Amino acid sequence: MSLAIEAGAAEALRVGVAAGSVTEADAVEAGAMAAGMAATGVTGADAAEAGALRAGVAAASVAGTGTAEAGIAGPGADGPAGRLGSRAGLSRLLPGSAQPVAGSGPATGRAADDPKAAEAPRYRAALLALARGTPEAALPLLEAAEAAGEGGGYAALNRGLALMQLGRLGEAAAALERAATALPGHPEPLFRLGTIAGLRGETGRAEALFLATLSRDPAHVTALAALAALEEAGGRHGAAAGLIARARQADPAEPELELAAARIALALGQAEAAAAGAAAVLAQRPAHAVAARLYAEALLARLPMEAALAEIAARAAADPFAAGWPLAAARLHGLAGQPAAALAELQTAELLAPDQPEILALLGGALAEVGRRQEAEPMLRAAIAARPTDAELRNRLATLYWRDGKSARMLRVLEDAVSEFGPQPALMMNRALALNAVGRQEEALASADAAVPEGGVLALVNRIAVLPYHPREGHAASLLACGRAIAAKLGGPAPLAAPRAAPLATPRPARNRDPGRRLRVGLLSGGFGRHPVGWLTIGGVENLPPEEFALYGYALKPREDMLSARFRACCAGWRDVQHAGDAEIAATIAADAIDILIDLGGYGESGRIFVLNHRPAPVQVKWVGAQFSTTGLPCVDWMLTDRWETPEGFERFYSERLLRLPDGYVCYAPPPYAPAVTPLPAASGQGVTFGCFNNLAKVTPAVLRCWARILAALPEARLELRTHVLGDAAAREALFARMAEAGLPPDRVRAAGGVPHRELLAAYGGIDIALDPFPYTGGLTACEALWMGVPVLTLVGDSFAGRHAFSHLSNIGLEGWAAFSEEDYVALAIARARDVAALAALRAGLRGKVAASPLADAPRFGRSLGQGLRRAWGEYCAKG
Amino acid sequence: MPSDSLTPEPMPEPLAGRLAGRARTLLRQRRPEEALPLLDRLERLPGEEAGAALLRAEALLGLRRAVAAEQAADTALALLAGPAPPATPPATPPAAAAPALLLRAHARQACGRLDQAIDDAAAAVMAVPADPGAKLALGNILAERGRFDEAIFFLGAAFQARPEDPLVQLRLGHAFMLAKRHEAAAELLGHCVARHPDLPGAAALEAQNRLVAGDPPGAIALARAALARGLSEAALHSVLAHALIAEADTAGAARHLQAAARLAPENPYLAHLAAALGGEAAVVPERAADAYIRTLFDGYAPRFEASLIELGYRVPGLMRRQVERLLPAVAAGTARLGPALDLGCGTGLVGAALCDLIGEALTGVDLSRRMLDEAAAKGVYSRLEEAELGAALARPRPPQALITAADVLCYFGSLERLLAACRACLAPDGLLLFNVEAAPPGAQWQLGQNGRFRHAPDYLAAALATAGLEVVEWQEEALRREADGVVEGLLVAARVARH
Repeated sequence: MSLAIEAGAAEALRVGVAAGSVTEADAVEAGAMAAGMAATGVTGADAAEAGALRAGVAAASVAGTGTAEAGIAGPGADGPAGRLGSRAGLSRLLPGSAQPVAGSGPATGRAADDPKAAEAPRYRAALLALARGTPEAALPLLEAAEAAGEGGGYAALNRGLALMQLGRLGEAAAALERAATALPGHPEPLFRLGTIAGLRGETGRAEALFLATLSRDPAHVTALAALAALEEAGGRHGAAAGLIARARQADPAEPELELAAARIALALGQAEAAAAGAAAVLAQRPAHAVAARLYAEALLARLPMEAALAEIAARAAADPFAAGWPLAAARLHGLAGQPAAALAELQTAELLAPDQPEILALLGGALAEVGRRQEAEPMLRAAIAARPTDAELRNRLATLYWRDGKSARMLRVLEDAVSEFGPQPALMMNRALALNAVGRQEEALASADAAVPEGGVLALVNRIAVLPYHPREGHAASLLACGRAIAAKLGGPAPLAAPRAAPLATPRPARNRDPGRRLRVGLLSGGFGRHPVGWLTIGGVENLPPEEFALYGYALKPREDMLSARFRACCAGWRDVQHAGDAEIAATIAADAIDILIDLGGYGESGRIFVLNHRPAPVQVKWVGAQFSTTGLPCVDWMLTDRWETPEGFERFYSERLLRLPDGYVCYAPPPYAPAVTPLPAASGQGVTFGCFNNLAKVTPAVLRCWARILAALPEARLELRTHVLGDAAAREALFARMAEAGLPPDRVRAAGGVPHRELLAAYGGIDIALDPFPYTGGLTACEALWMGVPVLTLVGDSFAGRHAFSHLSNIGLEGWAAFSEEDYVALAIARARDVAALAALRAGLRGKVAASPLADAPRFGRSLGQGLRRAWGEYCAKG
Repeated sequence: MPSDSLTPEPMPEPLAGRLAGRARTLLRQRRPEEALPLLDRLERLPGEEAGAALLRAEALLGLRRAVAAEQAADTALALLAGPAPPATPPATPPAAAAPALLLRAHARQACGRLDQAIDDAAAAVMAVPADPGAKLALGNILAERGRFDEAIFFLGAAFQARPEDPLVQLRLGHAFMLAKRHEAAAELLGHCVARHPDLPGAAALEAQNRLVAGDPPGAIALARAALARGLSEAALHSVLAHALIAEADTAGAARHLQAAARLAPENPYLAHLAAALGGEAAVVPERAADAYIRTLFDGYAPRFEASLIELGYRVPGLMRRQVERLLPAVAAGTARLGPALDLGCGTGLVGAALCDLIGEALTGVDLSRRMLDEAAAKGVYSRLEEAELGAALARPRPPQALITAADVLCYFGSLERLLAACRACLAPDGLLLFNVEAAPPGAQWQLGQNGRFRHAPDYLAAALATAGLEVVEWQEEALRREADGVVEGLLVAARVARH
């Protein structure tokens, strides 16, 4: 489960949020699966451009525009969400901007001119180090100089600059405050403090500091530019233009100011002037990424896409070795929804102008976007090293680690970013995911909650993604409350207005209400392939009676594997809608005249459940795919379930109506490559080996304490944990520390990382009993253990996720392996482990038992599913 | 104090090296579209033109842009040969030319110019006699050209050099199958599938070999086993469907054809066959999709006549006899026929059969460019038009003295509109000659499992009347032989109704 929400589909600012875990995920696909994610990912050139001044002038610029807006229409496409990008923009200015400031003059005073420097060799050496671009070397010298009183307030000021250059904003701010006190009339400390405030999203404070800077130096070029950027971000383009004009009077030759003027011109509708300005900047700086992007956008403002591309192609043909033209072409291809073409142009630009952080950031981002993470990682790292104050880049790298299942690394990146840039919602949301993934569920929920006030609907989606794992809060009632909060924030599919409006009842599209006719069933998912959704639905999908149902697949993620081909082979219509916004996907579904739409992604990674809020089909159903609880959304009519997941009386936990199938709510398709079941390991007399191959996000302190009690009662027993996150040494160490706290003996626990799927299945050969975690229980993981002959011992909760394993066990007649309290769980585990003969007998017949049960009986499930869908359709028809 | 001397920056790799290196990496990663903008720059650097052209040919081939790939390979070969071409080409091309020759061979193969492709691949084999890759390419093209013994010779040599290469096994197995050496094919393909169960196309080819060897149940068993292993590919579903048709399991065949069509949406032939079998209880098309006809005949053109002659195809000859009977003065040379239109002229068999009888302009119309190329080569048409028939009949043209439609109406279900359009083009005493395949009376029209439509005689008579045409001649004829017997049909001559 988990989720990635991206804002502004085609737009540069893509804030993903995401979520949680993956019950099933762990078991499958090493690496690739990952649970939800949050990405703020602008490549570089975002809102930020505002004020991308460079070295020479020193710099300043944008401060953040603020926070996620409440009430956006949907996570998919229709609105901005956590705006990290604009804040981040400032950062690009800093590396070049940290020229040492010394002596009496404003901003650009030169170290050598400072008479005091001559008397202070340490201070002088520090300035030299700064001038050489080695702020690390300067820092200890500056510290000593400041302590010795050398350089006056300038030692503190330059120390602040050096720290900013290294991305250590917290320490920088402290040094700058000291400099401001020591140099009360000097504009520079105030300007730098304003810059930091901007980076942290404190817009009002940034503006006040920039104005104070100007009161000390009315011609402070970068303060003017920074203020202009604030005005621009606030949509006051006229005011911004005036400030830029003032700055250009002071420094008419600076291309960054020309660029700022061009950008504002475009915002004011003067596309031709904007294109000319951007082209003039490119003539001076041919690899300038922001100018190239502006040039592309200015062209597109007055030409059709084809013509704009032709114009850029002509420029590139005339000037083949300038990086700006491929950068501009990349921007256009990106806007045209041609990511492969955009990537090609970015690679060209990177080869023509190597080692440019701006281009590395763009290319790294684009590569990460298409899943080429190995290529992307070094580029993002290089870009971050060159621009340590760009929060956006940090978040992008965190996203990359997330998708690679490297949660521990992701967490380190985000902890750094939060400490430098403050608790911005997008950072806190992603931090919540990382904390959850490494098994720190309580801190995860706290981090998610911190993002809620400013984070809009995305923050609530992030919250519900970590909530089901929480040892105390992860129960059905609290999940329903969170789902309802999402629905309230989301509102109807109307425009962005009225954020707090109650959910609107969107009219259902009209269809022929013949209860018996052949129905068109749409499936919306990113999991059509080797993914938990795939393994748990393909059997039903393949066996839905074709004369009664025509299937249409809406794929949110391209997948090419043996399972994805099976999905395509049963769908009469197939649409790749990965790059489309929610409204566009909904329009496609409606145009196909879908009668019943089944969501197979929920609030999970690459899920797009808010498509349903546009009401593309008259009957809308939630099924597998982050199916951990109710959705809370009025646009979801039914929850596909069974009597074990949601027995009578559970209706109160669901906003949906419960569509109970006669057997289980899923059908498991065992992988054809699953190895044979091995004899019981404990039969050798070595003691029982317990195993848990679930995601670490599910392993709570309470789970660890139960396991400790079990191992304490069984001195020969061992425990084996296996999941991606544990491939990381730091994550293993952290787990062992948590286990020690819970009283688990480390020498009897083995922790292993992820392996390819077939090997993962084979690893059950060493396990006697699978211990299910709680409150988020195993889904696909439980099915796989059972298929490999390993019984699963589960503790049943009240949320949907709390009953996955219980449903599967009941469906094969092993309900005796379910416990209903922690006491029972521990006692049952001990009792089962002591009866080795019974374990051996059960194991020998378990695969046959599963194969003969409804859990793996695809034709039977297909008929039941058909009847269930027919019933939902019949009720819609009857309502008239 | 540290000295002020700057450490020299490491010299970056020259641009040409960076561009070519990345382009090669991208081609290896099968990302040809990403290599193209790099090659645009590389070819502008002095001394890099030939290398860039070679890489471009490879990229274009990867993008299935065969014509452009051939041009790029031409460029590379010209640049490699240098400015002064030798008066007599050397007997053996230099080894350095082999990659470009092979790329051009692949490009020409993709364009369907197999003989030229064979020349290039053979030259490459001579240039690098020790390279099994060149022999593999040559063998593949020879097999496609129908020269199986030679194909097996070269593929066998490649196999000896790389006996464990699954691709070589697959190709050699394919050639054995085409040469009807089914046991050898079965052995090799069985080995290949056992070692590489997921190799795309291998299991399907193994089943196909069993099918064409005359063992549909064996083919069905192999294909079903592969599906049970979780494999799902268009070729596998398609071969299973064909085997099921042979076993008279039409419903099962329809399901698998439909699956095949969904997995290969770019292949209109599969979609057409799926519809022809009535797979989805769905709409049967009113006429075959243009894309299907074009693909069918574009792929078929070079072998078309040979295959029809093998099938005992009689329609052009029958039509000639109709003209001799119905227009004796024209046949005797004492009267001249007005303008004539040959609908669905294909490779020009009707034109060839009638050309000495027709003095005036004969216009041929067909959807398939490659069929028209074959027809043009016969030199019997004064004009050839690439068009769908309805569109062609709607064009302004003088009243036609003769319209022929040999084996054309089998691509249409409902005939009323087409016949009316013919009538509108006919001169008052002009003749329309056509044939249909026969459906049982009362069936109107049916889409058969071979993808063609059949028409019932009562329906045809009614459709003619509706279109304002009257029958001049109506003959039941055996049109041609097929695997399961003779195709019965009707040969009809009609003219504008007189009342």
